[in-house]
Amino acid sequence: MLLEIIICCILLAVATVGFYYYKFRIANRVRAPKDVVLLYQVGRGPRAPSFSPFPMKLETFLRMTAIPYINDHAARFSSKGKTPWIELNGKAVADSQLAIEFLKKKFGVDADGHLTEGDKAVARAFLKLTEENLYWTMCIEMFGDNLEPVKTVIPYRGFKLWLTVTLLRRALGKQTWGHGIGRHTKDEVWDIAVRDMNALSNYLGTKKFLMGDEPSEVDCSVFGMIAQIYWHMPGSKHQVYLKENLQNLVDYIYRMKDRFWPDWESMTLEGSSCKSDHGELHMPEKVTTRNGLSGHRFLNGTT
Amino acid sequence: MAFFKKKECGKDYPKDTVILHQFPRGPFAPSMSGFCVKLETFLRMAKIPYQNVHAYKTGPKGKSPWIEYNGVVLGDSQLIMSYLSEQLEINLNMSLSKEQRATARAFQKMVDEYMYWSVLLERWVYHRGETSKTLTKLPSLFVWEIGRRTKNMTHAQGIGRHSPEEVDRILEDDLTALADFLGEKKFMFGDEPTEVDCAVFGQVSQVKYHVPETVKARKYLEEALPNLNAYMDRMKETFWPDWEECTTKGFTTEATK
Repeated sequence: MLLEIIICCILLAVATVGFYYYKFRIANRVRAPKDVVLLYQVGRGPRAPSFSPFPMKLETFLRMTAIPYINDHAARFSSKGKTPWIELNGKAVADSQLAIEFLKKKFGVDADGHLTEGDKAVARAFLKLTEENLYWTMCIEMFGDNLEPVKTVIPYRGFKLWLTVTLLRRALGKQTWGHGIGRHTKDEVWDIAVRDMNALSNYLGTKKFLMGDEPSEVDCSVFGMIAQIYWHMPGSKHQVYLKENLQNLVDYIYRMKDRFWPDWESMTLEGSSCKSDHGELHMPEKVTTRNGLSGHRFLNGTT
Repeated sequence: MAFFKKKECGKDYPKDTVILHQFPRGPFAPSMSGFCVKLETFLRMAKIPYQNVHAYKTGPKGKSPWIEYNGVVLGDSQLIMSYLSEQLEINLNMSLSKEQRATARAFQKMVDEYMYWSVLLERWVYHRGETSKTLTKLPSLFVWEIGRRTKNMTHAQGIGRHSPEEVDRILEDDLTALADFLGEKKFMFGDEPTEVDCAVFGQVSQVKYHVPETVKARKYLEEALPNLNAYMDRMKETFWPDWEECTTKGFTTEATK
């Protein structure tokens, strides 16, 4: 009798694992044509195209450099255990920054072509400040004692929402401790966050984009991060501070939104024309704008 | 039981003197930790009187360096620098504009929160064998344990998920960015050193002196970035005229300072 119970349990475990493997690895698999980037990311966010800064960074970069791509929103994780990641002509590249370096080589594009070496160095430094420092203060704020705000942002329901929040909270606790920032008090972390946001605002000043009149690669990351604060951290200290003190940063994210996300309303869950773009091709079209400058516009269509 | 008695500030430790708790001196630079070099360089730059206590004992956040100052115990090099600057009304960034201070903060984050991890990986994980032979006298079990903890921390931080080739390139890119920003200048922001020079000097000193010679980035720094190399020598001459006395000269002597 015991043996039969054990066998049943094993079969049940195998069936469950098999089901989830199928669901996450095989079902709904998107195929991308040759030379089209397959962008694996989590689903759309309620008020911005993602509820995480890194997918927004990577997708904004693809739009900035006019690289055609298709989204796979099934939240599949990369070989490094994270998301977003990409595949191009069968080759997988994990990590948003490594993916950007890879794409620059493959497509011969460079969003920093107009910058001096000194400026590129400064851009790299601000990239690190944003992704390796400010980002963690935001995680600590959102996954702290009060989980209600983050539950309104992650677009899952019921058990899936509870599981996602619980797992993320545990993972972030470990990550911030390993990183070091998780060892500080709440006040110390907040002080770090304020100084980082002030640094971004002070460096931006009255410029249109972080490094000048034209957008560059670092804008993808800063935009992705500040957009989360503005749209996806409701009632948080970061959001209040940003809105009350750093108007130039708020204007900046609207500028980036207008420039690279004219279809924002269809790319956000609470947008007026929201529709799923899972498996849909985003193809850049060369256009001439009203003032005679050429640029790119993205068309959503099937191949 | 005298040695279990906690030292009292003012009685056993002099008042208004920073008691700097840090790891023992390194073989080729004043410390194997970029943060210890950074903080001690800051104390010298700001001319704050201090005394060293060399031990492996960690501070309130489980890390080193840490300080005691007039009875207050503090951890984290950056928090300590802010605290002391405020207490003693020192501002090493006085000559910088708002924009420059923002840029300085960005570079400090790049070296302390990013470059630091790639150096750890090179030293304690990828080239651990060489490190054991040339850079530390710790027994292999300790070195193995440090490697294991480094792997866990860098996995948590993120960078540990990359391949060794990717980390090599990341480290070289960070060094290139520093060299490109420095250009022909004497220090990061001009003719006079500022606070961020402490962090840059601290972290780059580990690449220059305390990673095995098999690490690509060490050769890259020596051969391809002459301005950054010259900057390191300049900082060393300006703030560490007693450099030799602050190292064990490859484990051949006790450091006298």
